[in-house]
Amino acid sequence: MIDMRNLKKVYKTGSIEFEALKGVFLKIEKGEFVSLMGPSGSGKSTLMNIIGCLDTPTGGSYYLEGRDVSGLTFDQLSEVRNQKVGFVFQSFNLLPYATAYENVELPMLYNGKKAPERRQRVDELLTMVGLYDWRKHRPTELSGGQQQRVAIARALAMDPPILLADEPTGNLDSKSGEEILDLFTSLWKAGRTILMVTHDTKIAAYSQRTVHILDGKMEADI
Amino acid sequence: MKLHLLKLFLNEFKKRKKKTSLITFAIAWGTLSLLLMMSFGRGLSNQFRIGFQGLGEDLILVNGGRTSMDYQGLPKGRAIRLFASDIDLIGRLIPEIKRICPESYNLGEIKYKDQETNRNVRGVYADFGPMRNTIAQAGGRFINPDDVTYSRRVAFLGWHLAEELFKGKNPINEEIYINRMPFKVIGVMMKKLQNSNYQGLDYDHVYIPLSTMALVDSQKYIDMMHIQPTERKYARYVENRVKEILGEKYRFDKDDKYALSVFNTIEAGEIAGKVFMGIEIFLGLIGGLTLLIAAVGVTNLMYAMVKERTREIGVKMALGAKRRHIVWQFLLEALFIFLKGTFWGALIAFNIVSLVRLAPMNYEMTSIQSYLLRPDFSTDILVTFIVIMGILVFFSGIFPALRASKMNPVDALRYE
Ligand SMILES: Nc1ncnc2c1ncn2[C@@H]1O[C@H](COP(=O)(O)OP(=O)(O)O)[C@@H](O)[C@H]1O
Ligand SMILES: [Mg+2]
Repeated sequence: MIDMRNLKKVYKTGSIEFEALKGVFLKIEKGEFVSLMGPSGSGKSTLMNIIGCLDTPTGGSYYLEGRDVSGLTFDQLSEVRNQKVGFVFQSFNLLPYATAYENVELPMLYNGKKAPERRQRVDELLTMVGLYDWRKHRPTELSGGQQQRVAIARALAMDPPILLADEPTGNLDSKSGEEILDLFTSLWKAGRTILMVTHDTKIAAYSQRTVHILDGKMEADI
Repeated sequence: MKLHLLKLFLNEFKKRKKKTSLITFAIAWGTLSLLLMMSFGRGLSNQFRIGFQGLGEDLILVNGGRTSMDYQGLPKGRAIRLFASDIDLIGRLIPEIKRICPESYNLGEIKYKDQETNRNVRGVYADFGPMRNTIAQAGGRFINPDDVTYSRRVAFLGWHLAEELFKGKNPINEEIYINRMPFKVIGVMMKKLQNSNYQGLDYDHVYIPLSTMALVDSQKYIDMMHIQPTERKYARYVENRVKEILGEKYRFDKDDKYALSVFNTIEAGEIAGKVFMGIEIFLGLIGGLTLLIAAVGVTNLMYAMVKERTREIGVKMALGAKRRHIVWQFLLEALFIFLKGTFWGALIAFNIVSLVRLAPMNYEMTSIQSYLLRPDFSTDILVTFIVIMGILVFFSGIFPALRASKMNPVDALRYE
């Protein structure tokens, strides 16, 4: 599913160069639930963004579902983001003026799905995350946990093979966090591949496997 | 742009109405002021033209003068007088003349019952009516050829004079006295705008057949010759021919500028028309520059809006938005704001113009109101405006939109 070899990322800020990823090797198989752990600033988000095709590496190779994604154009990467990965952010990132329904519908609009199909899928997803009755509410009218569940529904809208979550419970109280993790667990059991960033071992315990990153390098799997 | 994406945009636009209302208002305001400026400018020049024609349409006015050049042994300084017989001569010799009419005027004492006043009495031919736009109000008529032929004692009144003498009573068929001679009133002049004159405005005078003028005035010569060429382009030619013919008859040099006093309203009108066109162009230029400044302001606001929505752009890209989706979103937004703003601005401008046009016209004098109260919201103004606006919309929208689409998704998402 994911195959990274000697992946490097150098940030340039003016004349200052900073190597955030110093040759990462990472392999994730279909159906795995993996936690990515590491201290703050170790390069977790950088790695996740590259996996999610939000950013491009400066070295090494990255194959997503057997396809080399380096050298793709912006619009091709948009298609990958749309169809291959579902991204869940720490800060939810819902569109503020759109309802829960409209937020979930958005990826399907960019894909050109027909209206009846969209409606059915949105209803199905909102029911699954337990927010069908809240579909007409805007993000500001929802709790943090509810917002994150809308975001998960949105990430799943195009039924992507892999779900990426960068500290999904970072902005939530522990009870809401647990609900999110339970949701991930059931998604994983239903066959979804999940990669989740956390720095909490208790949270990492929900996953099947944990990988560690330190100063832009992977440590041996535990 | 697919339909569902258009719907998405419309939905967002609707929900973001408050955030765009300031720009919409600014555009509406700009549209309003510009259209008003252009409409009033156009109205000004229209009214000028109408007022100029109030004196008469396409007229050449000729009067006797005093020679300023020696001619065939005759000294300069001789007075040149014109007579009614000259009218027939000129009319016969110049086929490019459509109408020609003499006029003789003098101050007279006008009396109706116990009302008495001193006004200009003007002896004319029937052609004076159509030439000078002195048209009778309903129920009356202007002097006709028979009145002149049979020296009928009939009088046609300027509307202002009629009001003064009759105080609202119907003057038709009433008897008035001009220098103690009785005349029957046959008509009252319709109101018209007039912004040029000699001897006062037409509405204050009384008109009688030239042939009856001898009853009230001892002057033998005429004071004015009105000439209307068949076509405007003959204006100068006819003027020169008149000078030649009269110069031969009264023996003065046809190039003597002071032997005759000539007012060629056709040429004067053309010059004045150019001045007013200049004013219109000037107003249009000011408007155009204003619009340009407005466009720069709107572009800035659009940039600010893109910046404000940076994070949202990042989210959309993360969810699969392509570059063109982002470009269209902002371009459409610019377009919609402009459409909304121009629509309201134009609507309000149109209503103001319509309202102002309802104001009663002041014919009492050549007042400033008569120029300001008839703004003209013409379609050519609107079309010009929309074309210029369309171009500006495109440019104030395209650059911010392109900037938005060139963002890197990660940077956009990290933007606070
Ligand atoms: N856009 C950027 N420009 C420069 N440096 C960056 C940028 N993004 C991240 N970094 C740096 O890269 C390192 C890794 O960041 P990040 O991947 O966000 O770490 P983590 O998510 O593990 O906390 C940090 O030192 C951070 O300061
Ligand atoms: Mg991070």
